Amino acid sequence: MKIKIQDFEIVTLGDHAIVFSLAAKMDTKIVQKITALSAFVKSKNIHGILDVIPSYHTLTIIYSITKFLHKNKSVIEQVVEFSNTILNDFNNESTNIKTTQNTIIKVPVCYDPIFGIDLENLSNAKNISAQEIVSIHSAIIYEVYSIGFLPGFTYMGIVDEKIQTPRHDKPRMNVIAGSVGIAGLQTGIYPCNSPGGWQIIGRTPWNIFNKSENILAKFKVGDLVQFYAIDKIEFDKMNEHNL
Amino acid sequence: MSIKIIKKGLSDSIQDNGRYGYQHVGIQPAGYMDFISAWLANKILGNDLNNPVFELHFPTSEFLFKSDYTICITGANFVPVINEKSVELFKPIQVNKNDMLTMLQPIEGRTCYVAIKGELKDYSWLESDSFSKQIILKDQEFIFSENDNTQSYVSNINKILIEDVQKLVFDHNSPIRIIPGPVWPQLTNSSLTGLLKNTFTITSQANRMGFNLMGTKLNLTIENNFLSSAVTRGTLQLLPNGDIIVLMADHQTIGGYANIGQIILVDLPRFAQFKNGQSFHFELTDLENANQLYRNIYEKFQH
Repeated sequence: MKIKIQDFEIVTLGDHAIVFSLAAKMDTKIVQKITALSAFVKSKNIHGILDVIPSYHTLTIIYSITKFLHKNKSVIEQVVEFSNTILNDFNNESTNIKTTQNTIIKVPVCYDPIFGIDLENLSNAKNISAQEIVSIHSAIIYEVYSIGFLPGFTYMGIVDEKIQTPRHDKPRMNVIAGSVGIAGLQTGIYPCNSPGGWQIIGRTPWNIFNKSENILAKFKVGDLVQFYAIDKIEFDKMNEHNL
Repeated sequence: MSIKIIKKGLSDSIQDNGRYGYQHVGIQPAGYMDFISAWLANKILGNDLNNPVFELHFPTSEFLFKSDYTICITGANFVPVINEKSVELFKPIQVNKNDMLTMLQPIEGRTCYVAIKGELKDYSWLESDSFSKQIILKDQEFIFSENDNTQSYVSNINKILIEDVQKLVFDHNSPIRIIPGPVWPQLTNSSLTGLLKNTFTITSQANRMGFNLMGTKLNLTIENNFLSSAVTRGTLQLLPNGDIIVLMADHQTIGGYANIGQIILVDLPRFAQFKNGQSFHFELTDLENANQLYRNIYEKFQH
């Protein structure tokens, strides 16, 4: 099933999910609209909705068949009706809600080569000094476009063209928690030790994913993030990782 | 007061209906692979359908009961034995203190469930008892509330439900039904034909995260490179080499490969019971039918 309502394209994902999508690109306006719709759907506490998952240009709603849908009524009709209602209400009510400018989350990163294990190669490949890579990387205010792959793994963009670089052909067996990497036009943070292919340029002392039920992930989709450089001594002082 | 794992199986865990509500921070839902067999085990014991159960794969763990319990085994038949005496599936079983449960041989199916009459204590994370990579086992001992009565438990389950579930979950011949996914229209014509006409086989690359399939290689009319969006259990992802992986309970929350289709929920337990090497066909169905079929089985468990 595929329908179009306003600038959203709506498709069903199997028999227990609905996807709202905008134009498929990494774009501030698009991710902000997806984030706003996500918050709106959640605020409605709709019976039978299990998960609301924003990612880049899509918002996916996972539902319980027996709780979300009414019996003896066409599923497609119900999905169309739901989509129409939610998008109309979103349009009407969101104009009343003042769009709050997100505060920028300032994230400390130690770009020391002991953590930034790909920094030297990147510097050679791009013919840009390591120091300059650091200042380019920490100059931009990034937007969180998606969270996933691992609990809390944060996909941010858009990285300055001068330091964009593809993933390693062969992923590393173990990238350390807190590692900050680049993959194409995205930059991201590893929440825990994991295999991974991103080009690692530094490490944050922050623990960005915590199991505690009232903490969990440090970032959410739509957040604004800027990195700032710290040295190894500051890193050790701020280090939240279990050593 | 507890059930102790004295020898750890290859891939055993505790599961319930899953941990929903946290996929936006990247926490996968997990949950029963074959939810119908798991529900059945709980239903036979008069538990909540969502009660946490042991989910076992062969070779399984060995269990030591440190007090009296009533248990029920459903799903795959791995020839369960208690103190070396064989026991029946689909029946309440009384176990006594110091009894040992083990499984000898994988005869049918892939995933076996052991439900315990009682409540699992001190284990829940984010409102679910399902294992996930974020839960690291401190020990191998699980505390279930004890039987409050010494009489052996008589199940009031309708025998027809047990038969219906068996027929549904261990039917290896009927096709696995799918609904087209967002990238379905971009499959080439020959890929569409191949997907719906040819057989696919479960490879040895199959676990709780996903089942890699072997079969006709499929192609898209566009590049297989998408901005990641949410996936769900049953998603058919097309890998760049033309093979399909079907995402299962422990799937990642988002994926960037082509989402070509979805196995319908009601067929996932049957699919989850396929062993490595099992061949099958896909068949196209629609949303209305998928929802009705799921509702039918769900309602059978409600009374």
